[in-house]
Amino acid sequence: MDIFQSTSDNVLTLTLKGRLDADGTDKLAGLLAGYIDRGERRLVLDLSQVDYISSVGLRALMLAAKRLVPLDGRIVLCGPQAPIRHLLDVAGFTSMFSIVATRHEAAERML
Amino acid sequence: MSSVSGVFVNQRTEIERVVEFAERFGEEHQLPAELVMTIHLVLDEVVANIINHAYDDAAEHQIRVTLALEDSELGIRVEDDGRAFDPLAAPPPDLDLPLEERPVGGLGIHIVRSVMDAVEYQRDGGRNVLIMRKTIGRN
Repeated sequence: MDIFQSTSDNVLTLTLKGRLDADGTDKLAGLLAGYIDRGERRLVLDLSQVDYISSVGLRALMLAAKRLVPLDGRIVLCGPQAPIRHLLDVAGFTSMFSIVATRHEAAERML
Repeated sequence: MSSVSGVFVNQRTEIERVVEFAERFGEEHQLPAELVMTIHLVLDEVVANIINHAYDDAAEHQIRVTLALEDSELGIRVEDDGRAFDPLAAPPPDLDLPLEERPVGGLGIHIVRSVMDAVEYQRDGGRNVLIMRKTIGRN
């Protein structure tokens, strides 16, 4: 799992590349916790280059998003490929996250 | 009918070998990438759950995985000698709950049931046996 970051208008975008399996998730969860500790409240996760996610990865996304609720923060998920999108649907993520197709739409959801 | 079995042990590093086993099976049978990902996902969820929760001791235990193709059906069978545990007994998660009320557990078996067509559990001679089937589009 490679993770690239960029910041614009107080929105932190993390572009994830590779597998959100147990090892990839360890890396992402540690980074997310660190960013939230340092005060980041609006995060976009670009999933367009993620080709695998298991329940471990889904759980890490939920934990980070849950932590942001009382902090008035949020996570928007962006650009998942069809098989990943299907798993997000199966896991009930549509009622918990904004899931959008492009980073442009993700930025709009943060306004 | 074509089937292949692999034996793995209860260490987290074995997941990588399980993934290779699934991918090799997919290549040998020229399965579509999305189906290979499904096999990979199911084995990741089921075997990781066994490694993390099935054993009360620190000893090495064997987990046997069998993949089978027959006509238009994929079969996945996973056997372990851990404590009796029926993963199908857990209620499905309530997917309509808002984020703050959703428990984070229970997603793995829910995903397995969602991506496979049938999942069956047996306790057989001191072993847990999970049998999963999926109809696939091939002739």
